[in-house]
Parts: sequence; structure tokens; C-alpha cells
Amino acid sequence: MEDDDYWNTSETKAKAFSFDDDVLSTQEILAIGQKSYPGQKEESIFSNVNITTVKSAAVPLNSLVSSKVLDLILLAQSGKDPSKETKLEPVETVAMTLKRLTLGRSCSLHVHRSMKSKTELLDGALAIGDGNAVLTVVLFLIQTLNKKLVYELLSSRPVALNHYIAFLQNEGKITELTDLLTMLGRSPEAAMYQFQHAVKTQGNNIDVLFRKLTNLLANHFNQPGVDQHQAKMVADYIKLLEWQKHINKPDLKYTSVIQWLAHNCSHHWHEGAGNAMSPLTLCQRHQITPLQYDWVVLNVHAKAGKWDIVESLFTKKDWFGRTTVSSNIPIESLVARLHELRGSTQLLATCVNRVASSDDRLRLAHIYKIHSVVIETLAKQKDRAALTNYKMTLSPQSEEYILADNTLRDNVSFTNNQLLFSLFFFFRVNDMSYSETTLCQPNIFSFKVTKLTGAARFFEKVITALQEEEKK
Amino acid sequence: MDHQPLSSKLASLSLISQCKLKDILLLCGDKKDLIIDPTLIKPLERICGVNWLRQHGIDKIYKMDPQLSSTANTIRVYFIPACILKYKCVLDQIASLLSQNPALADLKCFHIIIVPKVLTTYDSVLESKGLYGIVKLHTFSWELMALDEQLLSLELPFLFKQLFVEQNHSLLSSISMSLWSLFHVTGKPKAIFSVGKLSASILDMLEIYNETYARDFLDTHSSKDIGALIVIDRNQDYASSLLTPATYSGLLSELFNINCGHLDLNVKETKFKKGKLNFGSEEEGASSKNTVMTLDSSTDTLYGEIKHRHFSEVLSVLSSKAKLLKNEDIKALGIQEIKHFVATKLQQVSLFKQNLVNHVLACETIISEMSNKFENLKLAETEMLNNRNKKSNFTFVDEIFGTDIHIYNSLRLMCLLSLTQSLTYDEYNALVSKYLLAFGYKYLYVFNNLINAGLLVQPSSPKLSLNISNLGNLSDRLPKWQNEFQSNANKLKQLPSQADKVGAASPSYVFHGGYIPLVAVLCNALLTSDTLAEALAKLSAVTDLRVGGTILEKFKDGMQTLNEKLSNLKLQNDLEFGCKDVRSLAKVLKSEPNKGGCFPLKPKTILVYVVGGVNYAEVAACDVVQTNTGSKIFVASDCISSGADLMAANT
Repeated sequence: MEDDDYWNTSETKAKAFSFDDDVLSTQEILAIGQKSYPGQKEESIFSNVNITTVKSAAVPLNSLVSSKVLDLILLAQSGKDPSKETKLEPVETVAMTLKRLTLGRSCSLHVHRSMKSKTELLDGALAIGDGNAVLTVVLFLIQTLNKKLVYELLSSRPVALNHYIAFLQNEGKITELTDLLTMLGRSPEAAMYQFQHAVKTQGNNIDVLFRKLTNLLANHFNQPGVDQHQAKMVADYIKLLEWQKHINKPDLKYTSVIQWLAHNCSHHWHEGAGNAMSPLTLCQRHQITPLQYDWVVLNVHAKAGKWDIVESLFTKKDWFGRTTVSSNIPIESLVARLHELRGSTQLLATCVNRVASSDDRLRLAHIYKIHSVVIETLAKQKDRAALTNYKMTLSPQSEEYILADNTLRDNVSFTNNQLLFSLFFFFRVNDMSYSETTLCQPNIFSFKVTKLTGAARFFEKVITALQEEEKK
Repeated sequence: MDHQPLSSKLASLSLISQCKLKDILLLCGDKKDLIIDPTLIKPLERICGVNWLRQHGIDKIYKMDPQLSSTANTIRVYFIPACILKYKCVLDQIASLLSQNPALADLKCFHIIIVPKVLTTYDSVLESKGLYGIVKLHTFSWELMALDEQLLSLELPFLFKQLFVEQNHSLLSSISMSLWSLFHVTGKPKAIFSVGKLSASILDMLEIYNETYARDFLDTHSSKDIGALIVIDRNQDYASSLLTPATYSGLLSELFNINCGHLDLNVKETKFKKGKLNFGSEEEGASSKNTVMTLDSSTDTLYGEIKHRHFSEVLSVLSSKAKLLKNEDIKALGIQEIKHFVATKLQQVSLFKQNLVNHVLACETIISEMSNKFENLKLAETEMLNNRNKKSNFTFVDEIFGTDIHIYNSLRLMCLLSLTQSLTYDEYNALVSKYLLAFGYKYLYVFNNLINAGLLVQPSSPKLSLNISNLGNLSDRLPKWQNEFQSNANKLKQLPSQADKVGAASPSYVFHGGYIPLVAVLCNALLTSDTLAEALAKLSAVTDLRVGGTILEKFKDGMQTLNEKLSNLKLQNDLEFGCKDVRSLAKVLKSEPNKGGCFPLKPKTILVYVVGGVNYAEVAACDVVQTNTGSKIFVASDCISSGADLMAANT
């Protein structure tokens, strides 16, 4: 292939704009990856990659473990006794029982009848740490000892107690669990376990749930020791359920307060405070924070395309007729969200303009490509170079481009930075060497130095000092 | 048996699982139906294929469903995880079949295979339902599965919830069992360490297995494959789970569901989107079938190259790969070359391309969903880690709770703040209230679960602190985490002083230079020490560190069997059968700093086992340590889980 040809093929032409070590965009990579070769069917890609066939038989079984070892592994899994040891010893010691339990072998605990051996069983199981053994022993104690004795044993052995709690919880034996915890002086926990059980099992029946929770609140969550805030949350839950029962909308039965609020915002937006379905009523009843309220309103209306509502809520005109933003949502988050929701550039610009620090404003405007704000801010900063650079990134003759162009033409003053540099070079050109001039941009000299700022004066002093030193 | 490299031995562990399953299926009669719980399908695929099941008498396969009525064969083999609700559901189904056809009771036609273990309570439940003798229960403890090079998982995702939230340790012995059979393949490592209570129990039980099944044909030499084993409880380093990872694989697990090493490339409905409140308008489209990516470097070399990379580098790697592909363009080839290409490389290239496309799609999704908030999140997390700007960190979290709240990730942030800087009573309640308003009051119990799991510290109410009934728990409820996190992390050098300036040579890059996962610290200490005393000195700030293995054997005054141990057990609560508290070794180590003779580690290979789920950032951090020290680190766990998975386990 001739060199000229090479540069003219369509493939390379597109590439010629970018340097070779540039990173391709994801679209470009996808284009390369998705281009298929002749004779290749799309399906073959999937059907040929069968992971299980690829993976198998790296090392054959017999060189992994010997057959005797394999038998041992199978024996251990089955939990059976090895054939040699089948004869059960007549007297089972505590240690033997615990070992059998840990190995998953069958064993009867009923030989252990004295309180001493029962206690030893429990402590041994705890020392080994096998939860299966611990729970088995606890349940055996429950069967064979009176409750008071068991609870005494459990109260000083928290790990055993936790196993029993988990068991009762999984079995749904909530009354027993409550008795146990109340007896141990842990009724606040009992209240929470009951709550968890109620919402997990009765979640599909508002009436039953309402009744259960009301009961729970009255009898358990008002006990001393129960966290006030937890009790309040349960009370709020009941309030919500009551209201949901009253409204009776099947599709909204189990939704959260915020989801209700979203529903009310989109369906009952114009109902005033005091009305049952008004968003404001809901806010009052459930202490929805202004931040949460604003967020929901923003999302609901923006997603429904009702930008007029969004704008009327979040912007207002000041005395001079300028539009400003007022929202409880911090401005950066607001801008980010508006951008995600595809809000108008004008709205975004209004928001970003409210950012006080010009650096932050510039950063946000850059991220969300709000050209007007970038141009305006750069102009205010009098950063001519940056504005010129920014102009280059805009597509020629677009609205933004023209704006940037006009701004550049109208604003010919200097930034402090550039002033410093020009001063610096000015002095060096005059007093040191001419070679430095090449470092300067030619246009720097075309501007008049109008006034010296503090920093520049400082610089001037430094340079004067340098000059004096050189003279010596 | 030592000629094979360790990684291929580990990849072949599924053959042992296969034998174990075969052993069970032989007991279940000739022609039978398999009724499988959907969560077990993917793991089972790693053990055997449908053809293999056919060969072993399985006629038809059904998904477990409470409504499932008749199946093709009389013999039913149910295959479920050790979850009491699923178990009871199966028993109910069997009971209703029996009520329709009482004759089935005598046919011994019901079998339930339970992974990883049949618990004693399951037997009692069977008995209480009158099904004892009619239904047969089988333990199936499958082996660790090699999901990727140097990454092993037992694939029991429900274990974290049981072990840490419910504090029910019933299945803990399964982990011991998996280590026990693993060591038949690799040999026993000389040096063994445990961090945390559960890990210590695992080593104790491992020793019980060793003692019980000691046979003369077993290889008693120490392992030539693995120099050291570290077992660590998840709750010893929650920070690594709570922080947002910076690596590619870490971010993949943030956005996509990964089950048994298979990633569901659902770019429309990511875990990020699903966890947030949806304010209407968007109609959910019919769920289309997504591409599935297998996260295994041996089949996807591209993944191997980018999995541990800081996400900012990934696209440039993918881009360079795309350019290479472009250069291999087929148009430039002659006819003969094309033929050759089609015959040899085409398939490989098409697979590579497909992988490339998938990774790019995944990257795009990560960028579009995370880039906005990533910087602020990263900043806040680093500030929390170093206990700086508490007020603005709280404001940051509080604002998220009030606006773009996520059902798991927001909780996770709250937990991180609570553990690193602690929350006041009012701050805590402000967050709880907002969370409940957003997702429903029913989630009130979630916070209690988080507290039980040690993921969250509940500040005590000012009014409550003198309540007598609470006195027992008072010490737990005081804000003891205040600065304790930082002081501990500083002692172990987990917090680099200048997060921005950390290069890829520090394991902390997995969290933007902010934090080094504890597993990486442990591995590094063991790999860079010449004596046991040196290693322990480096790790003196690690709480609940124990040692076992040959070191312990040398300490035993004669061989003490379990029976002796148990009968000598007085009121002390620790068995110290498989491992010993390091503090008790201090004296001996003074006179003999390298007791046991394990250091420097030989072979320079470590197996780390995280109890309660490991995450991809930790794996990547270990990879750095491995490169820095010229060693091999294999990471194993009961599952691979992200911070969001940890939160989900509390709901």
C-alpha cells in the first residue's frame, strides 16, 4: 500500500485527527468490538463458551487425593461412624457426646441427667464454638430442666442465649421469646423482636398489623428502658397505617411516607393544607423535613415534565427582575439532579449563578456544560486566555460561540496573573537577556499596563532587588 | 501428588464435590426427580452438568416452588440450602403429597439434600411433623469453588446473616470441614493464624476433625503448597466492606448482581437504581435477558488484566486492546491467511471482542451512574477514616438521607460514620427518621440488627444512661469506637498520611489511598517477617489474634486430646484446642523468637479465609502485597460480598 493511499483510506482518515496514544472513546471501542468478521455468526460467540467444559479436568481426581482419603472425606460428610468404631461405649462422657455432636453424628443427650453434666455439656459446646452443638444442648436443657433453671444458665452465657433467641425467632415462637427476654430484664429488645415479627408476618394485612402494633405500643414500647425515639417511630407507623386504612387505596397500601408524598404531589398537588390528600397535610403529620419535601416535589414534577411547577417553586424574581433560586436542596446537588432530570439550560444557569464562589461556579458550569455561565464568569474574572481557549472548544457560529466572541471583544482588560507575568517578562527583557522574550506570548505586549495591584507591586520590589544585586 | 501447581489443584476441587454428591445420589434410588432451590443452580453448575446428573439417575429437574404439584417420578430429591424456612416449605409440600396419597409413606421416596449441613434441629422438626422415617435428610458439604485464579468461595451467601446478625453459629463447622478437606489436597500449612472469635472456633473444630479422622495413610508432612493460613472474622474489618471500592471489579460488584462468579450485565436496572426511590413516570420495561459475564481470568484474559486496576485506568487499557484488534484487521490478509485465521484464531478473537464489548458497556454504566457523586463520596469517606471534619461529614450523610437516599448504600455510609467518628443521639435519630420516611417504618428493626452485627453503634439517650436495667449493656453502648478505630488503624499503619499521593504500589489504592484492608496488613506482616516474634510484634495491635499449626504442636505438653481438654475445662471459656492466644506465648518467644520454625514462610504462599464474605477490593489489595513481596496469596471466603450485600443481610 502506498503511503498516500494509506492516509486516504476511510478507516485511517477518521483516526488521523487523534494522536496514537490517545484513549479511544467508549463508542469507538464498541464500534471496533462489535464489527464482525466475515463468516462469523453472532450466536457462535455464546454457544461456544461453555465454562463448565473449559474448567473441568485440570487435575484428575486420583492425583488430587488417594481413594482412601476420598473415602474418609465421604465418611466425614455423612456423619456416620467409621465401621470399626460402631460399638457404642456403654457410658457416654460429656466429652464424647460433644465430639459426636460436633462431627454431626447421631447421639442421645438423655444419658446426661445430673445438673452438673448438663452444665458441663453447655460449657463444653460453647468452648468448642459449634453453634449446632450449642443449640442442641440448649434445646435439651429446655426439655429436661425447668425454665427458671435454664434461664439462669442462659443469662450468664450470652452466646448460648443468642442461639436460643435466633431459634425462637426463626420458629416464630415470639411469645416464648418475649417471656425469656422480659425475665432477663431485656424487655426493650423483646419489643423490637415482636415488632420485627409482626411486620414480617403481617405485612400483607393492614388491619391485623394495625391492631398488633397498637397493642405492642401500648404494652411494650412504653416500658421504662425503651428508647423514646423508637417508640415514637412505632407511633408514627401506626398513624400512617390508620390513615392508609382510611384512604383505602389498594395500590398504595404498603408504601412509605415519601412514596405517599410523591403520589399526593402528582395527583393532589392543588389541594390545600388541611385536605386529607394534600401534600402539605402529609408533611405536617409525619414531620417530613423541608429538604425531603423539596426533593420529592422536584423529582415528581420534573419526571412528569411539569417544569413550570418546578420553576415556580424553586425560582423567584427579585426586586430588580432577576431570577434567583431558593431551595432547601444544597445548590450542587440541585444542579446535579436537574441535569440528570434534563432540566433546561436556562434553569441550570440560574442555579449555578447562585453559587457565590466563582471557582465553584466555573467548575459546575464546566461539568454541566452551561456555556453562558462559563463565559460570563471568565469575563468577570477577566481571564482572557481561558476564555479564548474555551471559545475554541465551542462549535463555530453556535450561539455560545458568538457570545464568547462578543465577550472577548468587549473585555480587553487584564487579569492580575497576566499582569504579573507581563511585568516579569518586561523587566527581564529590559535588564537581563533577550532570549526570554520567546517565552512570552506576543499579545501580552499589546496591552497597556494601567494600574499596579498589590501583588504586582510586591513583584516589582523583588525584581528591583534582583537588579540591584546584579549591579553589585 | 505435589507435582501439580496449586491453582490447578484448587480448580479441580469440584471433582471431590462431585464424588460427594454422587455418594448421596446413590442412596436415593434409581430414577428420580431433582427439585432444586433456584439459588443453588449456579453453584451446582460448577460441580456437574446436566448430563452428569442424568448419568446418576436424575430424570427431570424442577425449580423448587411451593406450588409445584406433580412431577414425573415418584422419587423426589429436594436440593436446598440450610435455611429453616425453605426446609419447612419442602416439608409442607411433602406433607400435602402424603395427604393425597398416603401409600407414598412406605416407599422411602423423599430425600432432602441440604447444603452445607443438616442441623440437629432439622431432625427434630422432621420428627415433630411426623415425617421421621419417611423423609431422609442428607448433608452435602461441597468444597470451595475456584471462581477465579487465586479466589475461592464456598458460595453460602446466607452465612453472614446467620453468623453476625443472628449470631447463630450453627453452620460454622462447615467452614472447618471445607478447610479440613482442602488440606487433604494441599497438605496442612505450618503456620496458622486466626483473628476473631469465630475464626478461633473454626480452628478448634478443624483440630477435632483432624484428631477424629487421623489415619495412618494420611500425609502428616506439612504443606508444600501453602505456607500459612489466616482465618479472619468479617467483623474484624468492617471498614473494608463499608468503603466504596476504586477498583474495576469492586465497582462491578457495586452495580451488578454477581452470583457464583457470574455477573448479570443489567445496564438498565443496576443495583444503584433499584435501591433508590423511583418517583414514577418511568414504566418498567419487560425484563430482557441480559448478557452474563463470567468473572474468571482463565477464560477472560482481558478481565484478568483489568480486574484489580484503579477504575480510572481501565478505559485506557480497553482502548489499547481495541487498537490491537483493529490492527489485526482481516482485510489486510490474503486468502490463505484468512483461511488460517478462521481455523485458528477467529473464535478466540470473537470471544475477546465480545468480552471487550461487555467490559466497555460495564464501564460506561459505572461512569454514568457514579461519576457525579464519586468525588464527594470519596472525600467524605477519607475524612471519616481519619476522624476529620465530623460536622461536614455528618451534613454530607444527612443530605443524602434527605435526598437521593439508597436503601443499602446510604445505610452503609451511616455505619461507616458511626464506626469511625460515632454519632450523637440526635444525629443518629435524625438519620433513622429520614430513612424510615423514605423506605417505610417497617424497617425500624434493621437498625437493631445493624447494632447486633456491630456495624452500627447506638448512642445512648442522655435520659437513659442511668437506667438500671440497661446497666449490663452500658459499656457496649458507650461511644467506645470514638477514636478507637483510628488509633488501632494507625498502629497497624492502615491509614496512609497522604491519600492523594499513594501509588499503585500501596494496597490502599483500592480505597483511593485512604485505607489498607486488614487482610493485606496481615499478609504483609507474615510475608516480611523472619521470625514468629517479629510477625507478632508487627501485629500486636490486632485484637484476638491466635496462632495454631505446628507452632502450637511444639507448645503442647505432650499431646492433649479433645477429651482431656474438655475435662480440664473449668470456667474458662476458650478451648484453645486448634489455636492459642498470642499473649500466652510472649514468654516463650523471648527465649525462642522463632518457635515452630515457620518463618520466613516457606513456601511463600498464604491462604486467607474471610469468615462472613470477602470483597473484591480486599482481593485486589492482597494482589498488591503479593507483587510487592514476590509471593502468592489465595483468598477464600464463604462468599464474595459487597458492602450493600452486608446491609441487605440486616433487612
